[in-house]
Amino acid sequence: MNGQGFTVTGVSKTYGGAGEVRALDGIDLTVGEGEFVVLLGRSGCGKSTLLEIMAGLQRPTTGTVRLGGREITEPDERIGVVFQDPSLYPWRTVGRNVELGLELAGLPKGRRRAVAQEHLELVGLPDAGNKYPRQLSGGMRQRVGIARALATRPDVLLMDEPFGAVDHLTRLQLQHDLLRLWAEDTRTVVFVTHDVAEAIVLADRIVLLTPGPGRIARTWDVPRPRPRTLGDPGLTALREEIYAQLEDTGTWEKEGQPR
Amino acid sequence: MPTSRTDAPAARRRRAGLVLGQVALLAGVLALCEALVRGNVVSSLYLPAPTDVLDEVVLLLSGDNGFYGNLAVTLQEFLTGYLLAVAAGILFGLFLALVPLAEAFFRPFLAALMAVPKVTVIPLLTLWFGLGLGHKVIIVFLFCFFPIVYNTIAGVKQTSADHLKVARSFRASRFQVITKVVLPSAVPTIFAALRVEAAAALVGAIFGEMVASKAGLGNGLTEATSLYDTPRAFAFIILITLVSVASVTVIDQLEKRVFLKWRPRQTRLR
Repeated sequence: MNGQGFTVTGVSKTYGGAGEVRALDGIDLTVGEGEFVVLLGRSGCGKSTLLEIMAGLQRPTTGTVRLGGREITEPDERIGVVFQDPSLYPWRTVGRNVELGLELAGLPKGRRRAVAQEHLELVGLPDAGNKYPRQLSGGMRQRVGIARALATRPDVLLMDEPFGAVDHLTRLQLQHDLLRLWAEDTRTVVFVTHDVAEAIVLADRIVLLTPGPGRIARTWDVPRPRPRTLGDPGLTALREEIYAQLEDTGTWEKEGQPR
Repeated sequence: MPTSRTDAPAARRRRAGLVLGQVALLAGVLALCEALVRGNVVSSLYLPAPTDVLDEVVLLLSGDNGFYGNLAVTLQEFLTGYLLAVAAGILFGLFLALVPLAEAFFRPFLAALMAVPKVTVIPLLTLWFGLGLGHKVIIVFLFCFFPIVYNTIAGVKQTSADHLKVARSFRASRFQVITKVVLPSAVPTIFAALRVEAAAALVGAIFGEMVASKAGLGNGLTEATSLYDTPRAFAFIILITLVSVASVTVIDQLEKRVFLKWRPRQTRLR
């Protein structure tokens, strides 16, 4: 199965009210079919807002998002979303959490149980189906979140800082596993992170967003084969470039200086 | 609470000592009562001898004075009123929680009605509904309905925004959101009310019977008291307490084995 491409045109987002906040301003972005794009930026730069607009969970104030030519105005069955906190339902077993999307789509019980088990195996948790989320570690829970998003077989995966809440070693493992899944079944992925190393290891293309209001500051292609190690001289150079750009665009909050 | 292995025997000894002390206190008090009554220090009219109370309990349980008929009457009033209050309370609470305008409209009325001490209207209810089942059912309903409404509203409001977002990303309908996210999120809070109100419901049924009735455990208790049959009155108190404990136990088991199976054991504070 192949993915479909995104076209984001002139997207801005302003949160209303008296203290109006401009979260995004004039975002133009295309994500090719099967491309792995990382949105990188510090918290508050609007990268999660952009992802939710692409997912149809929020409407942009101006501009449009298209997926394979069709405009996204509400959640779409071609899109799977992985959330930062996997937000599993604690009252459901792991298996029934993975079934959620299929259940809401009205698939019969036997069928969705089989599909859920298949996807638990895919993320390396073949025996977790009858457990409750609280019985799993943070890393395992996030795998369940990925299985839940994949179970409806979306063309596109949108991931909002999915590995932000787990420890460093677990994070490396999850990155590795995600790349394996992606290699087995290439689909379009848009992945939000604030971690420069994570962006470099995963992305075909890195899109740097800067805050106040969120704008695209720069993009980099990462034309290196995977799996990648950060020791790779080409990647070390890229990392330094990204950090230099972060400093340059005032992305760091400097002491005594209002943002 | 985890206790380190080396402490286990000491902890067990401590607990054994505690239980022994509790049993000794209870036996002492009962023996003192028995001695005071048998020695005619206190009139058996005021305080029954524990052995007489035990005799009465056995007598009632053997079906004396239509005990099981009375028990059935009380249970019917209790269950009918309680189940009606649970169903209506959850539905109405859900409605108010999901329709903010409705909540804004009904909130002052609910608050006012909830503030009325329910026992004060029992005589009027007798006037309106007579002495029978309907009278008690309405009393029980009024005792339980409002707290269940409030806890349902509070529970629904605890629904996590992230959980809702997940459902939305899967294109859930409004009805699916309610049945698959909102209600399960509210269950722990609703159950907190169900447990407390099960005991309150029995109080309502018994009190209604004591005020105006022709049958029921409360009726039997009032009758025994008015005849100065103190041992029998005490026997009724004990048996009514057992019914109350049993009903709360049923709710607890339902909670633990069915509705909140997913929850970890209660966290202990010490």
